[in-house]
Amino acid sequence: MRTVLALLLVAAAPFAAADAPRGDEASARAALLARFDAALHADLPALETGLADDLEYCGVSATCSTKSQYIESVRSGKRKFKSLRPEIGRVRMFPDSAVLTGKVYSVSIVDGAERNVDAYFLVVLVWRDGRWQMTNQTSTSLTTTS
Amino acid sequence: MNPRRVTLPVVLILVVSVLSGVACAKDDARMSALKAAEAARFQANVDADGKVLGQVLDDGLEYVHSNGEVNTKAEFIQSLTSGKRDYVATTFEIQGIRILGDVAIIRGTAKVTVADNGQSRDLDLGYTDVWLWKDKRWQMTAWRSARMPPPAAK
Repeated sequence: MRTVLALLLVAAAPFAAADAPRGDEASARAALLARFDAALHADLPALETGLADDLEYCGVSATCSTKSQYIESVRSGKRKFKSLRPEIGRVRMFPDSAVLTGKVYSVSIVDGAERNVDAYFLVVLVWRDGRWQMTNQTSTSLTTTS
Repeated sequence: MNPRRVTLPVVLILVVSVLSGVACAKDDARMSALKAAEAARFQANVDADGKVLGQVLDDGLEYVHSNGEVNTKAEFIQSLTSGKRDYVATTFEIQGIRILGDVAIIRGTAKVTVADNGQSRDLDLGYTDVWLWKDKRWQMTAWRSARMPPPAAK
């Protein structure tokens, strides 16, 4: 009988997980704003928590970084923001993920030179370990070029 | 040993195994369908095929071109079918695909020859597109791309 109960519990686990509390739109928005804030303040612990291990971070120059590469660029000061102002536009919620789009206006210091980058962002958050984690960010420059 | 004590756990294990197998097969089918949808979408761009694009693009599409121009689904299809934007040729390479439930992320590169208002350009792009599983098919709901730096500048 114990074996049967154990097997039933194993079989029911995925269904129980599906009913577990999930993040809502407000928490997804808050998680993304916290992510931008952590980048602005080079808050490495917050980035560790807020970024998924399988992060793909693709900037306006079409180069992509992994989580460790992104965090290292912040830690080393290679990626340093003077200001970072996100405007979240649309948020679409799914059972284990959220897709957020909007604009971000940034001023960064790269190799000692100030650089303004204004971009459209596309962010995918995943709900893991009871919190939102960013698994993809891809940006396109707002600046119209031919 | 009581046969019933043996049979019931075995049956349960078999049921769980079958369900897992069904789930894996479903995932494989969805992955194949996603790759096919991506290929069909790129081809429909070149063919300016509004019917196919109507199927593979989500009604809530946000399409941000590499030059910063933003299109809805209707605007994007209209720009192609009217000839305002002409994708003369496109090749693409998928760098990574992840399926997260009913959401999928594709990251890749594309070489695109496009004519905008009669002016032809070759573009090397890095892109990410996001797809939704809706109405039993994949539909692209967001596209972001950026120009790759020229080789000398890499």
